[in-house]
Amino acid sequence: MDFMPIIAALKRQKTAAALIAIEIALCCAIICNALFLIIHRLERSSIPSGVPENELVRIQTTSVAEDPDVDARARAALQSLREIPGVQGATLINQVPFGRSSWNSGLRLKPEDKNTIVNATIYYGDAAMLSTLGAKLIAGRWFEESEFGDFATLLGAPDGEQPKIVIITRQLGQKLFGNENPLGREFAFGDVPVRVIGVLDHLVRPSIFDDATADCSLVFPVRMGAGYGAQYVLRTRPQDRDAVIAAAKKKLAEAMPNRIVLDTKGFDELRDENFKQDRVMAGLLIAVVVSLLVVTALGIVGLASFWVQRRRRQIGIRRALGATRGQILRYFQTENFLIVTVGIAVGMAAAFGISGWLMHHYELPRLPLYYLPVGAVALWLLGQIAVLAPALRAASVPPATATRPV
Amino acid sequence: MLKMTHLSKAFRTEVVETYALRDFSIHVREGEFVAVTGPSGSGKTTFLNIAGLLETPTGGTYELDGQDVGALGDDARSHIRNQKIGFIFQAFNLIPDLNIYDNVDVPLRYRKMSSAERKKRITEALERVGLSARMRHYPAELSGGQQQRVAIARALAGSPKLLLADEPTGNLDTQMARAVMQLLEEIHRDGATIVMVTHDPELAARAQRNVHVIDGQVVDLGEDPKLHMNVSRISA
Repeated sequence: MDFMPIIAALKRQKTAAALIAIEIALCCAIICNALFLIIHRLERSSIPSGVPENELVRIQTTSVAEDPDVDARARAALQSLREIPGVQGATLINQVPFGRSSWNSGLRLKPEDKNTIVNATIYYGDAAMLSTLGAKLIAGRWFEESEFGDFATLLGAPDGEQPKIVIITRQLGQKLFGNENPLGREFAFGDVPVRVIGVLDHLVRPSIFDDATADCSLVFPVRMGAGYGAQYVLRTRPQDRDAVIAAAKKKLAEAMPNRIVLDTKGFDELRDENFKQDRVMAGLLIAVVVSLLVVTALGIVGLASFWVQRRRRQIGIRRALGATRGQILRYFQTENFLIVTVGIAVGMAAAFGISGWLMHHYELPRLPLYYLPVGAVALWLLGQIAVLAPALRAASVPPATATRPV
Repeated sequence: MLKMTHLSKAFRTEVVETYALRDFSIHVREGEFVAVTGPSGSGKTTFLNIAGLLETPTGGTYELDGQDVGALGDDARSHIRNQKIGFIFQAFNLIPDLNIYDNVDVPLRYRKMSSAERKKRITEALERVGLSARMRHYPAELSGGQQQRVAIARALAGSPKLLLADEPTGNLDTQMARAVMQLLEEIHRDGATIVMVTHDPELAARAQRNVHVIDGQVVDLGEDPKLHMNVSRISA
């Protein structure tokens, strides 16, 4: 198809063509950024946790009366939880993946360094933590029984009594040591140098405030007591979950009369809650994108239909002069392609501008360049689909229209 | 060149069937200049539409340049229109969004001709009708006579075997009509076959042969030119 005669004819229809091109440009700019945000949100909500979420249950308790023996009772309760039929593992830890409330610390390579390299979340867990959570140890080893300390002892103890060994996630290792093997390496936790003895594949943070460090976690060999937000985690098959929770509540009430169960949730439910806003936002953006595409498509259909109606005689003349139906169809498709292309070119520049603005004001990442051709192809397709019905109507104009009275 | 035998064209609705042409036979030889006259509603335009492959006949046969074109498909008919037929319409039928050069170019582009060949043909055709200086003008910037000359240039540029003219001077004043008619006569002298539908008895008289159509049928008026003139006046 020759572009020049179509461009020449479009120059005589500047206003209508420009309006559609502007509509396409706006659509392109908004859709590229909206798609990026949607995918970003959805990717975020499907971030790997490193644990079998549908097999894990978190039980939160709180005290209703003073109990000087609470830590001993907590450990006894933990033992009784492990005896519940269907429980494959039980542990008491300070925080759980997607649990929102989190313990975090900035890390430096050496105590004397002024600037922290990365912010990481701190898990304190007992010997059963690894097997209960089902996190995958990809290098080194898990803690030995003799290496565990109690949180109550640790609390208020001088720095010298802090744990000196740590297990970190692969992502944290990369942030601290780059591509070097982190095993055996040291970094500063507060003013205490700690040595890496093991590396976990993944163990997501309770609260993700920066996607780039979502998997930056470290685990210290520290047995939690009942207080300080410690949470019981039970591992069970999904089909046993309800029965296990009911039994666990009973056991905890018996073992710890001064504490009540505050909340029980599966880790999968915690993930859902954690990313609810992201999903709502993605849904909203999808609705905006679909609406925008529909409005743009209707705009194209409207203008193309108007042009076909207005140029009915002209189409008849072209048919009389030898144009086939296919050539008339292609004429309107090419015309649409040219207008949409101009819109896309302007829209791509605008998309980049909007992306820069979002980066500046909302700390969002820069729109990746590959979104632009994806958006362009989507709009080209939209244009071609929208123009098809009016173009087919144009192609069906009989050539005898040319000889009918004006 | 053009041979229609017992041709008919019926327009049907649910309750009525109307014949625009009935048992219509005509034979136009190569190089002839034939004027088709007749009163309004006699079937002249239907004849022209069928002759130009703009419509299909309901019955009978139609041979164009030795080929039976009655049963051809839409694309084949478009192809023949483009290759063999040149149209000159009463309302000029130029495309208002295109300049003169691009208007003449329209049928040539459908022929997928090279750019150089198209340019040569367009230039020659516009020179022939005396409008080579107005190539970049738009139809609205030309007089009616000039627009019709552009339409003639568009028809000529494709070197058609048959030129069909539908009231070519119907929208022009006398002076312009005369100039256009002279142009058609020149084109005929150069060997073109022309079939012209007209109400104008003077124009009809300048053709080699007159064919009169009444109620969708060719009427033999004999050789008496006065009779022809009288019938044409009644028709007009």
